Amino acid sequence: MRDIRLIAKREYLEQVRGKAFKITTILIPVIFAVVIAISVLAGKYSGSGEHFVVAANNATLAEDVRAQLLTDKDANLKVDVVAPAAASDRQQLIDQVSQKQIDGYLWLTQDASSGKTTAIYAGRSSGDFTTAGRLSDSLDKAILQQQLTGHGVAATDAATLTKGVKIKTRQVRDGKEMDSSTLGTFIAAYVMAFLLTFTVMMYGMNVGRSVIQEKTSRIFEVMLSTVEPKNMLAGKLIGIGAVGLTQLAIWAAAAGIFSTTALAASVMTGDFQIHISIPEIILFAVYFLLGYALYSTLFAGLAATCESEQELQQYAPLAAVPVWLSFSMITFIMSNPNSFWSVVVSLFPPCAPIAMFLRIASQFPPMWQIALSLVLLLLSVVFVVWFSSRIYRIGILMYGKRATIPEMLRWLRYS
Amino acid sequence: MAAVVELDRISKSYENKIAVKDLSFRIDAGTMFGLLGPNGAGKTSTIRMMVGITMPDSGTVNLLGKPFTRESLKNVGYLPEERGLYKKMKVMDQLIFMGQLRGLDPATAGRRSHDWCERLQILDAADKKTEELSKGMQQKIQFIATLLHDPALIIMDEPFSGLDPVNTTLLQDTLVDLKKKGRAILFSTHRMDQVEKLCDAICLVNRGEGVLSGGMREVKSRYERNHVIIDFEGDNAFLNHPAIAEYKDYSSHVDIRLKPHADAQSLLHAAAEKAAIYRFELIEPSLEEIFIKTVGEKVDA
Repeated sequence: MRDIRLIAKREYLEQVRGKAFKITTILIPVIFAVVIAISVLAGKYSGSGEHFVVAANNATLAEDVRAQLLTDKDANLKVDVVAPAAASDRQQLIDQVSQKQIDGYLWLTQDASSGKTTAIYAGRSSGDFTTAGRLSDSLDKAILQQQLTGHGVAATDAATLTKGVKIKTRQVRDGKEMDSSTLGTFIAAYVMAFLLTFTVMMYGMNVGRSVIQEKTSRIFEVMLSTVEPKNMLAGKLIGIGAVGLTQLAIWAAAAGIFSTTALAASVMTGDFQIHISIPEIILFAVYFLLGYALYSTLFAGLAATCESEQELQQYAPLAAVPVWLSFSMITFIMSNPNSFWSVVVSLFPPCAPIAMFLRIASQFPPMWQIALSLVLLLLSVVFVVWFSSRIYRIGILMYGKRATIPEMLRWLRYS
Repeated sequence: MAAVVELDRISKSYENKIAVKDLSFRIDAGTMFGLLGPNGAGKTSTIRMMVGITMPDSGTVNLLGKPFTRESLKNVGYLPEERGLYKKMKVMDQLIFMGQLRGLDPATAGRRSHDWCERLQILDAADKKTEELSKGMQQKIQFIATLLHDPALIIMDEPFSGLDPVNTTLLQDTLVDLKKKGRAILFSTHRMDQVEKLCDAICLVNRGEGVLSGGMREVKSRYERNHVIIDFEGDNAFLNHPAIAEYKDYSSHVDIRLKPHADAQSLLHAAAEKAAIYRFELIEPSLEEIFIKTVGEKVDA
């Protein structure tokens, strides 16, 4: 025990004092904030500042559409009206688009007798969904208002009627109804799952790298003459795992402090209300530890068979497969948290930490499923520890070349 | 007196190679023991079994008069041939860590590290990171790490490789001091001149087998003194003497190899009759010659 403690302490101090720890501790949250900010802002301001022309044979309709388009303050559009428009105007508009004087034009034709409207949008880019959505939305509302006023409804009433209702989502938790939002929940789950994956992988690789470094620097030969290999491995895993927990704790504390600030209050309203409960935090730590134990022992075993860090890197894609599998199912799991495949993926040990965490964030799964996934994860950790410690014991003493799979199998039998 | 190390017919084979076969030797307290052999002879494999990194397939290892247990390792200091230190750690932290692993408390480990650094003249480096130091300095640090817990058995695999003559002497003197204090020192190398100077007993291994072992004097006495050097002036007709097998004549200096069991004294008489002799030396075989002879014979066989 004393050996394990000493080795864990050394490993912990070396990593925590290292540059990489400081850089990742600061940089990861910054990158997260920037990525989220960019994706939110990009969605909001996509297609903003564009210059359109609304051309219609009916001047009132054109003015109404223009008014609707201008209500979206974020979009900051510039809209001109050509009405009543004749066929000759169309060629002029086409020329304006191709000369880049305007970004596009909406050509409306309203049949005077039936009131039926046909609309054509032509612009330089055809794939701009945000613009298409905005135009169609504005046109619908304008026509609806026009028809309502045509049927004798007062203009202000017509505006109220067409305004539309925004659904406010709330989530039932612990028998209470709480403010929540689908977007906020999604981002929270996504961020936590990403953090979990990222830290598990990063610290798993760290263990592998640390083993390789001891092997290439030959320090293990001195160490093994006093310490048993299993204690050396255990100390390393505990030390580096503690570094991971420290980093997560720093982030959690920083997030906690941030959430009390005025800036957070302004950002976290409306769509961004996020609730992270205590059980979620505990489960996050548990899944981190088990996921870390699984991947780090695997990397430790593989690293012992390699001669250099470059060789170890070749194994990285192998470990990335479950991660990609979990992430490719992220939208599926979020929208169908209790479907058969979501359950299967969240029980499968290599995927469990990420997939189960996504389920927890969207809809708390039955207790037995969480328990089962933890048990399965624990069993696979035991198996990987058994496998890796054998490989490690022998592999670390071998120099010269990378072990082949048949050699590794012989080592398993041998030790 | 119980031997500090006693190997009894230990064997170890890896998948397709016999590393050590039926090797036996003992090392007493207060002696320096040379484990010799060409590269790949099984020296490192033997040492690894003595320090519990690997287990022998058969045979027994006794440390400090008891069958091998990991507990005895607290009394062993091992300096492997492949040096290794934690590069990012400060020298003093590293030494204290190593000392603690061998069972010292941090204060004792710190005090002893300080004393040793002073003795080996690397005290100014104590606060630096290991990676900032020269190879020779790192080697001294590892040397200290090996001795910090004052082990009864010190195992050094090529301890002087890569050191300049000044530092080599410094470390040699340190080892001789430790020997005088009653520590048993196993010294593995293929530098025969160092073994010849330092060791009291040797074991020569070749292809995993012990081919020659015993006290230095006793081993040497098994080999005939058949190498003669004569510095002379005058007639060199004595070179036709029947005792001579072959010779190299450098005008006033001859290097002579005698026939087996030849009488060197009669050669001296014959030479003295014809020429003025300034030097007549019957040289005992060097360990290097014995090594080459023994290993060479086995290789031919």
